[in-house]
Amino acid sequence: MLLPALAIVFLVIVFPICMAFYLSFTESTVTGTGIKGDFIGLKNYIELLKDDLFWESLRITLYFTVVSLLVEMVMGTLMALVLNKQFWGVKMLRSLVLLPWAVPTVVNARMWQWIFIGSDYGAFNKLFVKMGLIQNPIVWLSDKVPFEGIPIIGSFFEWIGATRALNMIILGDTWKTVPLVTLLLLAGLQTVPDSYYEAAAIDGAGKWKSFWSITVPMLKPVIVVVLVLRTMELFRVFDIIYIIMGYKINVLSILTFQEGLVYTHLGKGSALSFMIGLIILLISMFYINALKEKT
Amino acid sequence: MKKVMIILAVVALAITAFGKINVLYMAQAGYQPSDMEQMGALFTELTGIDVEFTFVKYDEMHDKIITSSAVPFGTYDVVLLDLIWTAELGEKQLVTPLDSYITKQMREDIAPAIWDAFTYKGQTWAMPFLANFQLFFYNKAILKEAGYNHAPKTLEEMVEMMKAIKAKGILKYPWSDSWNQKEGLVCEYVWLTGAFGGDLFNENGEPVFNQGAGLKALEFMVMLLDEGLANPNSLNMDEPMAKDDFIARNVAFNTNWTFQYGFLNDPSVSNVVGEAEMGLIPVSESVYDPEKYYTATVSGFQGLAIPRNSGNKNEAWKFIRFVTSPIVQQAYLKEMPVWKSVQDNPWVRTVDPVMDIKAQEIAASHHRPKVAQYQEVSSILQRYIHLALEGKMSPKEALDEAVVRIDKVMK
Repeated sequence: MLLPALAIVFLVIVFPICMAFYLSFTESTVTGTGIKGDFIGLKNYIELLKDDLFWESLRITLYFTVVSLLVEMVMGTLMALVLNKQFWGVKMLRSLVLLPWAVPTVVNARMWQWIFIGSDYGAFNKLFVKMGLIQNPIVWLSDKVPFEGIPIIGSFFEWIGATRALNMIILGDTWKTVPLVTLLLLAGLQTVPDSYYEAAAIDGAGKWKSFWSITVPMLKPVIVVVLVLRTMELFRVFDIIYIIMGYKINVLSILTFQEGLVYTHLGKGSALSFMIGLIILLISMFYINALKEKT
Repeated sequence: MKKVMIILAVVALAITAFGKINVLYMAQAGYQPSDMEQMGALFTELTGIDVEFTFVKYDEMHDKIITSSAVPFGTYDVVLLDLIWTAELGEKQLVTPLDSYITKQMREDIAPAIWDAFTYKGQTWAMPFLANFQLFFYNKAILKEAGYNHAPKTLEEMVEMMKAIKAKGILKYPWSDSWNQKEGLVCEYVWLTGAFGGDLFNENGEPVFNQGAGLKALEFMVMLLDEGLANPNSLNMDEPMAKDDFIARNVAFNTNWTFQYGFLNDPSVSNVVGEAEMGLIPVSESVYDPEKYYTATVSGFQGLAIPRNSGNKNEAWKFIRFVTSPIVQQAYLKEMPVWKSVQDNPWVRTVDPVMDIKAQEIAASHHRPKVAQYQEVSSILQRYIHLALEGKMSPKEALDEAVVRIDKVMK
């Protein structure tokens, strides 16, 4: 009875993962007669750990993940708190808020690419010039970092790859994903009984105190889910960065794609994939441990 | 299990053998999708073989070819093959050698330099289709405003003109080009190295771009940015964006592939109708010789290849033979024909007033390195050239580092 289901799970999940894991210990490439390679043990992993490009890529990916998460959690929480109130039109607003999330990822990337065009016909430049906010078009996707030229802080932003281009991409990506975070947090908020807030008010607690003492603890399970889910997706970011910047912003997924498919170093590409998976697993375990209820 | 696999294979082959081919082509420079669809429609009418096109951006082509070639039953029957992929795809035997299909007459009517682009280890891996190369575009109306009535002959003269255009407040940035960190950047660097009299690799296949002409080329690019002559947005532009910038009348000069010519005088998109001209890319006065060395360009020759795992090789060849034929190329003169007989045809020379310029420019083509590890070599070059353009490394430091990394890859 279970055999067909198990066969599908094996063919679609287990076999490809095992094959990819084996490949990560080989030096393999694509040829006309199939994949050919030699077993080289841990060489791929060791070479990656010694490669400056890998560490640079990790820094950029971490920056992207942390900043995006921060923006999404703050904006998502604020929006969820507003949408949790009862006022005229709140139901329609809840539906409208979801619209950016419904935009396909590729369409979102192309849309923001056109918005960010550094010439006078880019949407941002056209709008801001017309509004008098800027006099000349700005190159939104440039490599400049905040506080460039200022010792320590400028160097730090340079080191973590916090270029203007990456920050603009964070804007474009969070525009699309904040609705999802809002929705999940709103669902969590709706399980918090009003009586808790009423009791707190009677005891003299203000809104800020109520938020930290009631809302946040009650939302912990939802926050863990959001953090784990979004961290996994942000760490694996590929499409929006690839479409807008090609291989210029070298996050881990782009590096993996380049090694595995562009250079056809299948072994190294596989090794990178598993390292990404391991890092995500470690981060997820950290979240779960940090946020679990103390019994 | 074996019987099931055989049955599945037969069914797959039967499906693919139903008089239909799948063609992977780019939607960027070269023949535009509408041109290819017209050719495909006529081919279908003449032969009864349906043609389904998949159009992707140039930068996605290589990855799509690799992923579709890695499986027993291919997705595509015909793929566009850039000359820079010849060595890799030939080495890995991912495409079918076409020598048995190519006749002596075909060999004689196409220049050896073009055949050479698709030859690796003595075999021909693609049929020449697109004799793509870069040309020089300038706005004569803007030049006239600045007090000039001719195109520059040397790079130094062009810089002088740009400074005059900027000083007179005509344009903020007289130059922009496709300098984003993609293959186009390497192409720009190759023609500029040629404009200083050199190539990226020497005859022994060793990288020499970190000295002489290669170093001067990168220093020239950095100088254009430092002096405010090149639009800083060039570092994010690809070829279509560079074309848009030129036809929007934002710049006075650029270089681009032959496709840009078709947009110059199109009133529906161009702000430079009647103002823009196409000419020969100028070289440095240090190498300029009005008879022997007066222009340089980069080759972007592209051919049509048949993936090894195609199930419709004969149909694929018929399609390739049709679209690459002299008669079709004569009908689509917006791109340079690969056939000498078409290039020299007096009627063609009358119909295409710039054929003479194109013929001179293509003869001055410089090639990108033809090595099996070209993808990695190009990535390294793109990264370090871009770092120098961003001002994060000096040109010498950047190119030296690139040579070190390329040497490691080539070993």
